[in-house]
Amino acid sequence: MTHTLHRVGNEENLREDFVLLAMPSKDINHEGSGPKLQEIIRICLKAGAVKAGDARLGNEYHQGGLETMIANIEDRAVVTAVFNDPAKLVNALKTIKEADFGMSIVVSGLFDRVKECCHAFGQKVHTVNTSLGRWGATHKLPANDMMEIQSMCGHGMVSVNLIADTVDKVKNGDMSLAEASERLFRPCQCGIFNTDRAQKLIAAMM
Amino acid sequence: MQIDQELCIGCGQCVPYCPVGAISLDETAVVDLDECAECGCCLRCADCPVEAIYQQELEYPRTVRSILSDPLTIATESGISGRGTEEMKTNEVTARFKKGQVGIGIEVGRPVSGARFVDVERIAQAMAAFGVEFEICNPTTSLMSDPATGKFKDELLNEKVLSAILEFCVAQEALPDVLKALKAVAGQVDSVFTVCVACRADEDENIPSYQYLDKAGVWYAPNGKTNVGLGRPLAKEA
Repeated sequence: MTHTLHRVGNEENLREDFVLLAMPSKDINHEGSGPKLQEIIRICLKAGAVKAGDARLGNEYHQGGLETMIANIEDRAVVTAVFNDPAKLVNALKTIKEADFGMSIVVSGLFDRVKECCHAFGQKVHTVNTSLGRWGATHKLPANDMMEIQSMCGHGMVSVNLIADTVDKVKNGDMSLAEASERLFRPCQCGIFNTDRAQKLIAAMM
Repeated sequence: MQIDQELCIGCGQCVPYCPVGAISLDETAVVDLDECAECGCCLRCADCPVEAIYQQELEYPRTVRSILSDPLTIATESGISGRGTEEMKTNEVTARFKKGQVGIGIEVGRPVSGARFVDVERIAQAMAAFGVEFEICNPTTSLMSDPATGKFKDELLNEKVLSAILEFCVAQEALPDVLKALKAVAGQVDSVFTVCVACRADEDENIPSYQYLDKAGVWYAPNGKTNVGLGRPLAKEA
C-alpha cells in the first residue's frame, strides 16, 4: 500500500512537495473513468503541476511523450500529478471538485498543509494514511540525503547507485540540475518523483 | 532479466539503474539472477547502446518476482498496477476502513533492500497470531498457503522481490499490542520494511489512531496521504 507515502524529508524541504492521485474504485465507479482521469490530468497541468503520470501504463518517457500518455489513460487507471505550490494545488482541486467527476482524490504531503488545502476548497479530511517509518534491518538504509531523493519513487525504482552517479555527474559539471532530475524521474513509472524538489536536494549536496 | 554476453560491450551504462545492485561489470555486464527482482528498470531506462538487455521467459515461481517488483504489472487480485490495493485511496466510496478500525500496511523490502519471502512470512506469522485477516485483494495474500497462519507457499520462500505488502485491519485499541509484536519481529528479519496506519478521520477531522500510536510510543511522520473525500457515490458509512 502506498507508493506516495513514506517520503523522507524535513518539514522545510517537504513544504513544497505534494502529490495528487486520482482513481476510481473497482466495480463501483470505474466504468467510463478513463476520460474523467484524462481531464483531471489536464486540469492539474493547466494549474501548474510539475509532473503528471499514469501509474497503470507508465510515465511520459515510457509511453513516448506526455500527450501520448494522456491519450492512453484508460478506465481503472491511477493518475498522478506533482505540485510544488499549494496555491496551484488548491486551484486544481477546486476545478476538479466543481467538475464533480466522482473520482477519489488523495493528496500526499505534510498533513497540516494538506488540511489547509482541503479547507481552501471546501472539503474536510476524510481518511489519512500515516507513515510509521522504516523498521527491521535499518542498517541497510543509505544516508538520509540519499533517502530524501530515493523515497520520492515509492516503488523503489530510483536506485541509490543511480542517484550517487547522477550527483557525481552534476558535481563534475557533466550534467545540469534539470538534466539530473529528469534522469532520476525516468525510472519512476507512476510519475510521482518531484523533479523540482530533486533539483533543490541535489543542489544542497554540492 | 538477462544481458546477452555476445552483444554487451561492457560500457557499464546499465549498472547504476538496478535498484537492488544485481548488475555487475567485469569485461561485460552480468545480472546476478538470484538477486535480480525482475523489476524491468534496466530494460526500460538504461538505454543500452547495443540492446543487449532482454527479458528472459519467466516461469513460476520466478514470475512472482515480476508481479511484485514491476510497478506496471497488473495484479489479478487487485486489478490495478503496483503491489498494493485501493486501500484508503477510495475509502469514501468503499468504507473499507470503518470508524473504530485501523488499516495496517507492512511493506517488506521497502525502501531499498528488497525482500525474500522467508522474511515476509516471518512478519506475517507474527501478525497472524492476532487473528488478522490479510487483505484478499492484495497479491501478496494470494501467495500464502495458509492465510490464517501467515504461511507462504514453500517454493516462494527464497524468491526475491522489491517489496511485498501485508495488509490487514484491526480494532484501533489493538494497535499498541500489534505494534509491540511487530517491533519484536523486526529484529529477526534481514529486510528493511515500512509500516503505515490508515484511519478514518472523525467529524472534527481528528485522527483517532494517533492516541494509540502515542500510547505505543511509536514515531509517526508529519507527512502522509489524505483522502479528501471527493469520490462518488459515497459509501453508507462514509
